Amino acid sequence: MHLFIQRIKKNRIAYYLILPALFCMILVHILPMLWGFIISFTGLDLYTVSDWSKASFVGIANYLEGLNANSPTGGRFLRSLWNITYYGITVISMGYFIGLGVALILNQKFIGRTMVRGLVLLPYIIPDSVAYSIWRFMFQSRIGIVNKYLLSWGLILEPEVWLVGDKSIYAVMVASIWKGWPFTCLILLAGLQTIPLELYDAAKIDGASPWQQFRFITFPLLMPITSVLILLSILWNFNAFNQFYVMLGSDPGVAAEVPSTLILRAAFDSFHYGIGAAMSVVLMAIMLIFTILYIKKIRPGEAEH
Amino acid sequence: MIILISVLIPFFWMVSGSFKTRLEIQASDIKIPGKEPSWIPRNFTIDNYKTVNKEVKIFDYFKNSVIISLGTMFFSVVIATLAAYAISRFPFPGRNVYSITVLSTQMFPGILFLIPYFIMFIWIRKLIGLPMRDTYWGMIFTYTSFSLPFSIWMLRGYFNTIPREIDEQAQIDGCTKVGALFRVIIPLAKPGIVSVGIYGFIMAWNEVLFASVLTGNKTTTVAIGILRYITAQEARWGGMMAACILVSLPVLIFFTVLQKQFIQGLVAGATKG
Repeated sequence: MHLFIQRIKKNRIAYYLILPALFCMILVHILPMLWGFIISFTGLDLYTVSDWSKASFVGIANYLEGLNANSPTGGRFLRSLWNITYYGITVISMGYFIGLGVALILNQKFIGRTMVRGLVLLPYIIPDSVAYSIWRFMFQSRIGIVNKYLLSWGLILEPEVWLVGDKSIYAVMVASIWKGWPFTCLILLAGLQTIPLELYDAAKIDGASPWQQFRFITFPLLMPITSVLILLSILWNFNAFNQFYVMLGSDPGVAAEVPSTLILRAAFDSFHYGIGAAMSVVLMAIMLIFTILYIKKIRPGEAEH
Repeated sequence: MIILISVLIPFFWMVSGSFKTRLEIQASDIKIPGKEPSWIPRNFTIDNYKTVNKEVKIFDYFKNSVIISLGTMFFSVVIATLAAYAISRFPFPGRNVYSITVLSTQMFPGILFLIPYFIMFIWIRKLIGLPMRDTYWGMIFTYTSFSLPFSIWMLRGYFNTIPREIDEQAQIDGCTKVGALFRVIIPLAKPGIVSVGIYGFIMAWNEVLFASVLTGNKTTTVAIGILRYITAQEARWGGMMAACILVSLPVLIFFTVLQKQFIQGLVAGATKG
């Protein structure tokens, strides 16, 4: 105990140094999270929002409504969870395959590699609202370029309406894959460059084919970085908002509804803050599982000096 | 080659759209021969650039975004440097808990605390009369806090690569621990600090969700402003594409100039423990 206090005293400056950061994080992350938890048990609405202590306590009513498949909000919320899962699986797996393929190409030496690498990163760099606005333009039914090619290749006979109705989620998927894979590629490329070349030389001497080299050297050695990457992508994609909001507006329709857009509307259009907060808490519980996995993967504790 | 084309197609479309007249875009129809949307504008015009600020006040939004992004950049660099130095060099009790908190807050996305945060803004205003919503500093504070976890994590990794002997030597030479940070560590970690700064700037420049709720007439950022070219009444695609180019420029310039450091920092921040 005495030693513990001594350690605190000896490192007193450290506490001053983290103070501003701690202040910001408590105010922006930690307090609102706890608060959100409290709000999710209240009937907070437009009339009580300026004095939240007056809001009625409703117990778990918000959760019951949010998770009840037969209520209007609950039905949409469950559907949105399904949508985001479907969207996430598609975008992450496609993004990973494209990213891996391109990373393998970029890992070879060829003329103009640096330039190509820079250009490939462009989609990742430009702002979300710019990227998805362009895609929204491209997916326009009659004036868009996407339908023009699909039509001329004979893949469709009549112009498709992409941004309203059942197909809208696919339009968003295409745009998100385009926007997301360069990051995957960048990380995988960094991973590839840490693999010692001697391993490949040894494999060649042993007569391994390029496929075998990939299968038994590249792929296993990329596994650690892959698992971190996939966890990160799950965390990011599960909360996708920008692409849906920019391409489809604040109400993307049932087929492309995602939790973020639903929560936003529940709170800021219908002013049911309580239900919105309850849905956030459910979402947070799901995310928590992946966060714990992620932290275990990169283990900050082991980086001790 | 195929990869490059598929990456670049939307950019070509953006540039081509920005030089088309409004009439050409509106009247184009994939079903009518001779009127299909084309890559090369039929009536080349720069009107979209001339009138980009006419109906949508994109220059005002631009100014707002510059102020908010530069503010975010400044504060997140300063605060993250101090905190990262503490984590990297002081074995203070609570360090592990703090590191894990930093790491996990980075994982929790905005939508999870948007509602309580918004209500907190209202509450602060009511309690101490301090307006937070639709103010520059409210937005700077929000975005600084968002960029902190990643920035601290990235810089911590950077500081850890600097041998401790160097700052120990500085202390023997009469520097205090804080002095060593400014005289030794910061100069050595310049690339890391630069990339943290860019990260903060880009993050604030691009953010959509909080901007859509917390900004108002006075502080609308470009990320939201750009969507205003399309309204229920009319679709100004040409103007929107011109604005898209304008809005991407600062980010693209930053990226081109500092590509190498930024990529290094990004990779390290996402994957290294």
